[in-house]
Amino acid sequence: MKLAFSLSMALAAALITAQAHAAINVFACEPEWAALTKEIGGDKVSVYQATTALQDPHRIEARPSLIARMRSADLLVCSGADLEVGWLPVLLHTSGNEKVQGGQPGSFMASEFVSRLEVPSAVDRAQGDIHPFGNPHIHLDARNILRVAQALGERLTKVDSSNSAYYQQRTKEFDARWSKAISEWEARAAPLKGMKLVPYHKDQAYLIHWLGLVEEMNIEPKPGIPPSAGHLTELLVKLKEEPADAITRNAYQDPKAVEWLSDRTKIPGVTLPYTVGGTPEAKDLFSLFDDTIARLLKAKKPA
Amino acid sequence: MFQQAIRVCAIALACALCTAARAQSNNELEEIRNQIRALKDAYESRIQALEKRLKAAEDAAATQKAAAEEAQGAQQAAAAAQAAAATAPPPAAASAGSQNAFNPAISLILMGRYANYSQDPTTRTMTGFLSNSNESDALGPRGFSLGESEVTMSANVDHLFYGQATFAVGPDNNTVDVEEAFAQTTSLGHGFTFKAGRFFSGIGYNNSVHAHAWDFEDPSLVQRAFLGNNYSDDGVQLVWIAPLPVYVELGAELGRGANPPGSNTDKNGIGSSTLFAHIGDDIGTGGSYRFGVSTLRTSTNASGTSIVDIDDRTGTNSPYVGDTRLYGVDFVYKWAPDGNTKYQNFKLIAEWFMTRRDGTLLFNENSAGVPEAAEAFKLHESGWYVQGVYQFHPEWRVGLRYDQLTEGTWQAGPVATAGGVTRPEFTPWRYSAMIDWNPSEFSRIRLQFNQDRSQIGLVDNQVFVQYVYSLGTHGAHKF
Repeated sequence: MKLAFSLSMALAAALITAQAHAAINVFACEPEWAALTKEIGGDKVSVYQATTALQDPHRIEARPSLIARMRSADLLVCSGADLEVGWLPVLLHTSGNEKVQGGQPGSFMASEFVSRLEVPSAVDRAQGDIHPFGNPHIHLDARNILRVAQALGERLTKVDSSNSAYYQQRTKEFDARWSKAISEWEARAAPLKGMKLVPYHKDQAYLIHWLGLVEEMNIEPKPGIPPSAGHLTELLVKLKEEPADAITRNAYQDPKAVEWLSDRTKIPGVTLPYTVGGTPEAKDLFSLFDDTIARLLKAKKPA
Repeated sequence: MFQQAIRVCAIALACALCTAARAQSNNELEEIRNQIRALKDAYESRIQALEKRLKAAEDAAATQKAAAEEAQGAQQAAAAAQAAAATAPPPAAASAGSQNAFNPAISLILMGRYANYSQDPTTRTMTGFLSNSNESDALGPRGFSLGESEVTMSANVDHLFYGQATFAVGPDNNTVDVEEAFAQTTSLGHGFTFKAGRFFSGIGYNNSVHAHAWDFEDPSLVQRAFLGNNYSDDGVQLVWIAPLPVYVELGAELGRGANPPGSNTDKNGIGSSTLFAHIGDDIGTGGSYRFGVSTLRTSTNASGTSIVDIDDRTGTNSPYVGDTRLYGVDFVYKWAPDGNTKYQNFKLIAEWFMTRRDGTLLFNENSAGVPEAAEAFKLHESGWYVQGVYQFHPEWRVGLRYDQLTEGTWQAGPVATAGGVTRPEFTPWRYSAMIDWNPSEFSRIRLQFNQDRSQIGLVDNQVFVQYVYSLGTHGAHKF
């Protein structure tokens, strides 16, 4: 009975794969890289997005479905820098897929192509779950997207050389559109310069660096450690002494702490999309930045 | 004094590099030096930080042409200097993995506990069941005790293989146990992974989970009775993942049959073999499951495996010689709201095992009047457990488990029957409740209560307080 089920599943899948053979299979760890791969790869790639904007990328289960998708991937596109250290190694070791192992052309780690912020000079877990290779949340500096897009375009031509002209063309087009968008965003975000943020986790660092904002402190006492009541009270005292402009969280982070602080300090609490799909407005990479800046501008508006 | 020396060195190094660096880089270094001077009086500590950054910038200037070009771009000199000082150089690809240069990734597990048993653990048994490991050893001592200290090292061997070893240092007798030591392929492709060495078998679900990652302090009764906690063997394993959008895994292992339920088979060829199959997928956005079936076949050597006091009455210590087959079904379901496990998640695990033994039981003459004899013996028994663990807060989890061993059938010969070796009508069971506090991903402190009714006529109330700490490499856990 089970055997019959498995066989029929196998048959169905074989048919599906035969039909979809034209496109190369891309396993994207996070929504931002799934979106970027679609921008560059167009209809020559079939992208599987492993996580959603509602999931903390540090804490993903190495689910059977992910192993199954990793098995058939031609290209792996992830943040790297240990963001996925809690789950990606399991997928790689159990997938039996040689193409996506570290060092292979099929393994693309976006953080290798940009300058990373906050690389610690010494690592000690007493500082929380810090990342020894620097802050891995690189995509919120829009200039990094440009660098990664360039590298990804090159990688796609390597992995799927028969479509190299197509990928080069699309990279070029994306580059032009994105460069234009960067100048627009920078102009639009000019009033945000010096805006003081209290993000939940250190995952807005690149946005802050790019747009010249200021990270006052984080809601987490240490990276990866949820805030205790005592820590929140401390934050409250500090924020009353020296108010910030906004307290921010991503869609997958606990809203209660932000609401609690926002209610008591009257500092606006802002939910930022963080990645594609994090808010209803952030439908693709372009609208992700549109929405992020719009939400910050709204919070900045003098009361 | 030391700080002064560092500063001198940093500036000297900067000057040395100045000549080589481009004009832009000169400006950049000059800028940073100016900043340092300006801040010197007021911010001694900040100077130190800037010096580090300066050094990073110098390294970047010297080794990373790309970084220099980038700095030369549209940005102004000051801005560029600030950017270069604040960011790390784009690293070489090799440094961005999770392993430290060529050293294996190392993790150390520290475990310890306080145990309170209402019955003496040294005289405890599981009535009617062939407890392969000595039950009193399995329960461990009362009071404070150190658990296993585990060291795991792993790395890619080369472009073809990956290797991993786990050494468990026992708390007593200073024994070091090689729990696992294997190499596996990374490059076979087509979904195949081949493994050789000593490893936890892929049968069932919890069998391949190391003790530190269990959801309860102790293993289930079935694991204890049928698998010696974690069934492992020296041998080879081949696993294949089907090229399907749903997870289908098929695996087979061949081994020496070194460990219970077999005993070192002491022969050429194959001493044990297993087969397993798993299927799994997501259910909605937050749930996922894995279902599996597995079987193990092994046998004992001529001197058999010891069956300690099988019916708890006769005091027989009767070696069993023959074959053992084990069949298992396992199911895991995990759920988290939107699949975001950080704040809340739920895990349900259920496993069922059945074992059949077909061989010879050797009776020693004993006080109960059983004469010395060897006669045919068949045994058929099973057991199961179900457990649920709910993480209701990022730091807190609660769990419940119910365990049962189900008395099956046994066929003993006339000597045993005449001697009164009978199987008592008894179903061993136990329930467990636990709560654990996880202040980070790397530490866990657990309180657990068991009511253990696995020995006829006894109720053993057990309380454990346990700690589990993970040091070193960030572990990645299987589903």
